Amino acid sequence: MSIHIQNISKSFTSFKREAGLKGAFQSFINRKYETFHALQNINLDVDSGEIVGILGENGAGKTTLIKLMVGLLYPTDGSIHIDGYTPWKRKNEFLKQISVVMGQKNQLWWDIPASESFLLNQKIYEIPQAEYKKTLEELVQLLNVEDKLNVQVRRLSLGERMKMEIIAALLHKPKFILLDEPTIGLDVISQSKIREFIKFYNEEHNSTFLLTSHYMNDIQALCDRVFVIHKGHGLYDGNFNALVNKIKPQKKLIFEFPHAPAEDMIVSLQQEFEFNLIRNVVTAELPDKQLTKLLGSLFKLDDPVTFSVEELPVEDTMRTFFSNPEKFL
Amino acid sequence: MFKFLKKYSAVIKMTWIQTLEYRANLYVGLFSILSGIFIEYLIWKQIFVARGTELIRGFTLNELVAFIFLSMIVGQLKSSWVTSIEMIDAIRSGGLNKYLIRPISFYTYHLMMFIGQNSLFYMAYFTLIAAFPFIFPGLAFTTNFQVFGFLAALFLAVYLSYNMYYIMVCISFWFHEVRALVIAYNIANIILSGQIIPLRFFPEMYLKIIAFTPLPFLVDFPVSIATGQLPTDMWASKFFLGFCWCLITWGIGKTLYYFGIKQYGGYGA
Repeated sequence: MSIHIQNISKSFTSFKREAGLKGAFQSFINRKYETFHALQNINLDVDSGEIVGILGENGAGKTTLIKLMVGLLYPTDGSIHIDGYTPWKRKNEFLKQISVVMGQKNQLWWDIPASESFLLNQKIYEIPQAEYKKTLEELVQLLNVEDKLNVQVRRLSLGERMKMEIIAALLHKPKFILLDEPTIGLDVISQSKIREFIKFYNEEHNSTFLLTSHYMNDIQALCDRVFVIHKGHGLYDGNFNALVNKIKPQKKLIFEFPHAPAEDMIVSLQQEFEFNLIRNVVTAELPDKQLTKLLGSLFKLDDPVTFSVEELPVEDTMRTFFSNPEKFL
Repeated sequence: MFKFLKKYSAVIKMTWIQTLEYRANLYVGLFSILSGIFIEYLIWKQIFVARGTELIRGFTLNELVAFIFLSMIVGQLKSSWVTSIEMIDAIRSGGLNKYLIRPISFYTYHLMMFIGQNSLFYMAYFTLIAAFPFIFPGLAFTTNFQVFGFLAALFLAVYLSYNMYYIMVCISFWFHEVRALVIAYNIANIILSGQIIPLRFFPEMYLKIIAFTPLPFLVDFPVSIATGQLPTDMWASKFFLGFCWCLITWGIGKTLYYFGIKQYGGYGA
């Protein structure tokens, strides 16, 4: 399912008031409205079978973009075509081909087991009985929730509930799936299982995925391509690793000498490279080329007890990026 | 049509399953109406004794109690204010999203939920209604014609009432918080549609005014048919007028939804 987004903009009108009772009275009598531009001139094309990560800080416009793509909102300007459909016209044929999982909202009925909600979805999406049974079995096995199907939803853990939400969202085998913070609040194991599942499902069904997540590990594991939104503007559209390298091309070196090296040698090296020495351990964060050179020089001084070259944590890199995105692009 | 029925009957089924999950709530809901009827009976009995008359506005005590008993049941069955509050919350909090992203109609889905929630009550109340000819012999359902007329009028009242609440639900697209409006309407509606006191007890001026509104169709119309208070030669014109009100309120609701959904912000999700 291909997506074509052209010059899409969305503005909201809201009112502002000062805190406290006085502010409440003032606002009650004379309300001051202001327009907030959530998205401005966004352009994005996504091909069938791609997994694209949408990145941005809180309030950048990620969820607004997702809501526009599934037809929850009407745009202020611009157009979106998903396989020829205009989302906000909400044609049944279109709705049968999409699915949305929002981490903080659910479609399952709270007071009854998830299996009942699945049956309701079977009727809503008009899934033939045999196909429904097969898909459900497959999803339940993949997500390992066989024993939780008949437990009231409100009694499930957050991770189990999210898995059930994902099952409910995929029962009708949608071609276009939007995941808004699908791993929010989950433990590391559940996060990893959901990531594995998304990857598997994408490969198996060639479904198009759009994903927002504050966990960069989700993005790194799933998305080759990312679209960065900053204050409502599209800032970057391209390879995720290329973006990371652009922001912080450094890698981390840890080099442990058997004994503390001679001080004059270290001083001379420090004139050429930036690194730290604590007792007999050298640590440095340098770009690839410089790091190789430094490593060569350190080997000339002595053989290490141990050494390692690591990627910098992607979370830290992206934090640096979002503190001032324009600086890096 | 078959697919439509299959889809939305599943919603009714789900609502039954959910309602049966909480047994105590169901029992209390079912029997709460009986206490109201008992209180009304005591009040009207005292009024008849104090006035020392056999008739008030053409009603004997038994006729009045039968009329009020039926009015309370109809009033209860047609009131979808709880469903309306849920729908308003869905619009305010972004819960509407889960309807919009699926091939279902928000209007029909909630209508079915309302019918589903109430249908267990319908069964219990219909048992009471079935006992009517024995409790109040000769006062209601004296002919099969009255039974079928009552059922048709009840169906019209339930649907019309749902449409009126739906209009208020749609107003929340612009004003967000309209629960006070729904509650105020609900209270006014209980009194003004004749749910507690028959419309015949109201001043002439009021009756002239509400003749131009859908209010008489919500309670007074079905109960008047069941108790034989409405001459059969007037049924057709009344049904036609009630049907027109259904169309008008449905149209207003649809129009408000059409424009309102464009205001929807999908907040909270």
